[in-house]
Amino acid sequence: MATKTFEYAPGPNLAALNDDPLHGEIMQLSMGPQHPATHGVLRLEVELDGETIRRLEPEVGFLHRGKEKTCESLGWAKFFPHTDRLDYVQPLMNNIGYALALEKLAGIEVPQRGQEIRVLLMEISRIAAHLIYLGTTAIDLGAVSMFFNTFKEREKIYEILDAYTGHRMNNTYVRIGGVFADVDEELEAHLRSFLEGFRGEVDTFEKFLTGNRIWYDRNRDVGTITKDEALAWALTGPNLRGSGVEHDLRKAQPYSGYEDYEFEVPVGTVGDCYDRYLVRVEEMRQSTAIALQALERLKASRGGEVLAEDRRYVLPPKAKVHTSMEELIFQFKIVTDLSLPRGEAYQGIESSKGELGFFVVSDGTSRPVRCHIRAPGLYNVQAIPLVAEGRLFSDMVAIIGSLDFVMGEVDR
Amino acid sequence: MVIVKRKDLSLAERLWLPEIGRALSMTLRAIFKPKVTRQYPEEPLPTTAVTRGQPRLRILEDGENLACVSCGLCEAACPAYAITIDGHETERFIEREPEAFEIDMLRCILCGFCEEACPKDAIFMSNELELADFTRAALVYDIDKLKRPTAALTGRMDYFYKVTNRWRNSSSTS
Repeated sequence: MATKTFEYAPGPNLAALNDDPLHGEIMQLSMGPQHPATHGVLRLEVELDGETIRRLEPEVGFLHRGKEKTCESLGWAKFFPHTDRLDYVQPLMNNIGYALALEKLAGIEVPQRGQEIRVLLMEISRIAAHLIYLGTTAIDLGAVSMFFNTFKEREKIYEILDAYTGHRMNNTYVRIGGVFADVDEELEAHLRSFLEGFRGEVDTFEKFLTGNRIWYDRNRDVGTITKDEALAWALTGPNLRGSGVEHDLRKAQPYSGYEDYEFEVPVGTVGDCYDRYLVRVEEMRQSTAIALQALERLKASRGGEVLAEDRRYVLPPKAKVHTSMEELIFQFKIVTDLSLPRGEAYQGIESSKGELGFFVVSDGTSRPVRCHIRAPGLYNVQAIPLVAEGRLFSDMVAIIGSLDFVMGEVDR
Repeated sequence: MVIVKRKDLSLAERLWLPEIGRALSMTLRAIFKPKVTRQYPEEPLPTTAVTRGQPRLRILEDGENLACVSCGLCEAACPAYAITIDGHETERFIEREPEAFEIDMLRCILCGFCEEACPKDAIFMSNELELADFTRAALVYDIDKLKRPTAALTGRMDYFYKVTNRWRNSSSTS
């Protein structure tokens, strides 16, 4: 490890630098890819001057599995389980994003009840993802009990998803044209009781953290991203809203009928880690409200279809496959050779990390020409050097936590 | 739009002591709350018809032959390339059956696409979840390890028929 002495001109945040006994000694530190505070396999090449970060370079790609290329060889429908594994804390959200892109390309209209279930699933996933953010960021900053509390709530969500889809994670329950299964009354009641209790739990989380001095000191005015910087670095989602830009795809380009739901977009003022935390906590409350509205709508639309009746893309009812030659042919055709019309489509959705977009290109055959995934996490990772350089090394943990990315999606 | 409120810390919050007291009271209260931890290996996971466990092959009601006709549709639907089928002809009324049907459980991701694709109700996701062995070769399941009597899969079959009973008001004649 090379060590050299140099003259350093302290920046605006380096007032206390002269007190640092290690000032002037440069250390190259390689943090990750197996470091728990990097939230996955992210490697950070850090150049430290004492405790201060002089230069920081995130290195991604340790979890690269070639998802986009895999889509080209697998075909449209078989890629659904792979989208689960992008941002693995919110698999259903990824499923829906991909399905929406394909539906846009093929011009399929999802039935009303299917859309309502999708909205419900997306909001539940958003809550689960934000709970992960809150728990892991808090445990990185020393609040261990917070982690147990958020994971206790998240476990309830997973139990509900288990009862609905049969899996806790990697659900794969969204299909082209809707969702695979209907939500029954028992599950609705279960969801309602969870969501009503969850409001109180969010208040408990705030009681733990918002007025906590350690949390306050370590987040306030740390990692400040200004409005212009956030826009220039293509940040989206809570990171952008924390910097004071009101931009939410659910409002700006509504999909799945979000224009019919009443909710507010929380926006921060300063753009530091504390604002991003407040925005996410508020978002959990709004998501709860949206999910409850979706449940109300589901009550009204009970008995409706959840999958579009489109024999080009949707598998026919199983009972009919046994009796009808036509349906059997469709079954074989769709499973072996599902082709989408020639063209291209982009659909972005507001995932818990930002704008999750799928750009799909089809040449009319069953093999996709291209499936590009606009993963919000990648842009969030890119913003780490922007805010961490010149700060103390320990601030980096707060910054990484508050930017909130999942490496499965960043490297894809 | 709702702008989030950034509250400054109150005096009580800035002084450490009252906060420590509050934290301790929260901890003490948590002691008396019901426990949520599940003692997993001792307490087995509850499974229902919805549970998507490992795929299993169904034996017909006659108790010896598989429902599978080795059409290869599950092989085509599998996103993980876990299924390998070799078929051959039989003397029975149903003319085909699998000679070899292997599912590589190390590759299987339990997505349920095979079950959805199967036109003969031959493969279903059972409620068997545990999967461990000492060698990789032992985890490539063949027909002997995969076959289950119809009775073991009836719950899942009923659920599956209920879920896929779509397009009930369909105008199509087929």
